Amino acid sequence: MSEPSAAHAPTTTRVRLDGIGKTFVDARSGAPQQVLADFSLTVEPGELVAVVGASGTGKTTLLHVVAGLVEPDAGTVDIGRPRLGVVFQQPRLLDWLPVRQNVALALEAAGLDPAAADGTLAAVGLAEYAGSYPTVLSGGQRQRVAVARAFAVEPDLVLLDEPFSALDELTARKLRLLLQELWMQRPRTGLLVTHNPLEAALLADRVIVLAGRPAQVAAEYRVDRERPRSAEDPHLFDLHSRIVAAL
Amino acid sequence: MTATDLRPARAAAVPAVPARPRRRWRALPALLFLVLLAGAWQLMAVLLDSVLVPGVPQIVTELVEIVADGSFAEQLGITVLRVGLGFALAFVVAVAVGIAMGRNEFARRFFEPAVLLGLTIPGLVWALLCVIWFGIDLVNPVAAVALSSAPPLMLTIYQGTRSVDPDLLEMAHVYRFSRATRLRRLWLPALAPALFAGARLGLSLGWKVIVLVEVFGMSSGVGYQLNNAFAAQNVAAVLAWTLLFAIVMAVLEYGVLQGLERRTGRWRKAVSV
Repeated sequence: MSEPSAAHAPTTTRVRLDGIGKTFVDARSGAPQQVLADFSLTVEPGELVAVVGASGTGKTTLLHVVAGLVEPDAGTVDIGRPRLGVVFQQPRLLDWLPVRQNVALALEAAGLDPAAADGTLAAVGLAEYAGSYPTVLSGGQRQRVAVARAFAVEPDLVLLDEPFSALDELTARKLRLLLQELWMQRPRTGLLVTHNPLEAALLADRVIVLAGRPAQVAAEYRVDRERPRSAEDPHLFDLHSRIVAAL
Repeated sequence: MTATDLRPARAAAVPAVPARPRRRWRALPALLFLVLLAGAWQLMAVLLDSVLVPGVPQIVTELVEIVADGSFAEQLGITVLRVGLGFALAFVVAVAVGIAMGRNEFARRFFEPAVLLGLTIPGLVWALLCVIWFGIDLVNPVAAVALSSAPPLMLTIYQGTRSVDPDLLEMAHVYRFSRATRLRRLWLPALAPALFAGARLGLSLGWKVIVLVEVFGMSSGVGYQLNNAFAAQNVAAVLAWTLLFAIVMAVLEYGVLQGLERRTGRWRKAVSV
C-alpha cells in the first residue's frame, strides 16, 4: 500500500442516515420483526465510527443499508455514490481464482490498475501467496486478503462488518493492528459494526452503543486517543468497561 | 508497516496431494470389465450358434472394415456436427433460462412448466416431430437434439444457480463488478459442477435422439448406417457401429469432459494443511 500522497486527498465522503426503519418478516412464523426504527446517524468525512451491540440489534442491517444491500422501509440514506471497500464477517473470496486475481478484480471494477494487487498483498504480508488459491490459506490469511481487497480500491468509504469475529483471538488481534496501520496511512470515512467493545475502542474515533429491538442508541463515546493505539492502554480498557456497561 | 508479527505462517503454501494409484494401473479395472464382457459374449455366441448373435471376431472384422473404408469417420463427422450444433444451441438457451429461473421468481414460475413438460416428452417423440416439421434439412436433427437436451440442462443449471453463495453476489455488488465479470468470474465457475452434470445428461439424451432422427428421416450419419445394417439383417454391423459410437462417447467423456472438469476444478485440490 502506498504512502499518503497528493493523489490521496482527504476524503469528503459523509454518511448521513435519517429516520431509517427496517422490518423483516420472520420466514417461519410470518411475524414482522422491526429491526430499525427511526434510526439516525452521521459519520463525518475521515471519521471511523464503530457501532457496538449484542447479536440481533440490527448492526449488520444498518451496515447493509449503507452498502446498498438492503433497502430501508423508511428514512433517507445520503452518502452519494462513494467507492466502497467492504470487509465482511467472512472473507467472501472467489475460491476458484488465485489470491492476486481476487484483489485485481475489485481493482479492475473500480477502474484502477489491476497490477496494484501485488503491492496491496505485500502490505498485508501475503506477497508470497499471490499466486495461490484462497483454499490453501488459513482463516486469518483469507481475511487479510479481504482487507487487502477493501483497501486496494482506494475506497471513499470503508465498511467493516464484524470483520474479525470469525477468527481466533490471537489472529484477530494481529488483524486489528494491521487495520489500524492501514487507517493511519490514509484515513477514510468508515463504519465498523462489531459486538467486541475493545475492538471498537481500539479502532474507532467514535463508538455508538446500540441496545433493544428496534435498536436505540444507548450510549455514545468519543475516543480521544492518538493512533497507534494499544489494546493494553488503560484509557481504552476503561472505555471498554463503559461500553460493556451500556450494552 | 512493522513486519514483526503480521507475517503469515508458510506451512500452508503447499497443498496436500493425496496418494493416487500409478497412472498405468488406473485403467485396469475398466479393461478387465471389457475383456470379461467380450469373453461372455463370445461364449454366448458359441453356445447359441445363431446368425443373430455374431461372435467377437465377426464384430471386430466388421468394425475394422467400417473404419478402414473411411465411412466411419465420414458418417461420424456428420452426426457429431448435428449433435454439436443442437447441443450448443441448447446450452446457450439453458444457461440463460436456468440462471434466470434461479434468480427471478417470475422467470422460475414462467419456465417451470416448459422444463417439466420437456423432461417428460420422450426423445422418440421429438425425433418424430422434427422429421415431420423440418424434413431432411439440417434444422431437423439440430432442433431435435436441442429440444431433448435443453430441459435437463435448464433444470441442473437452475438448481446450480440456487446453490451459488449469495454472499459472493453481495460482494460482487458492493465492488460493482460488471455483468460480464460476474458471468465470467462468478456465475460460470460457481455453476461449473452443474454445467458438467447438465452437459453429461444433455449429451447422453442428444446422442440417443440423433440416432433416432437419422434412422427416421436422414440419409447420412451413424443412425442412418445403423438402419442400413438393420435392414440388411447384418447384426455384426449393427453391433460394430454401436461399439464405435460408444468408443467415441468414451473419448468425449474421458478425453474432453473430464479433462475440462479437472481444469476448472483445479482449485478444489488446493487445500489447506
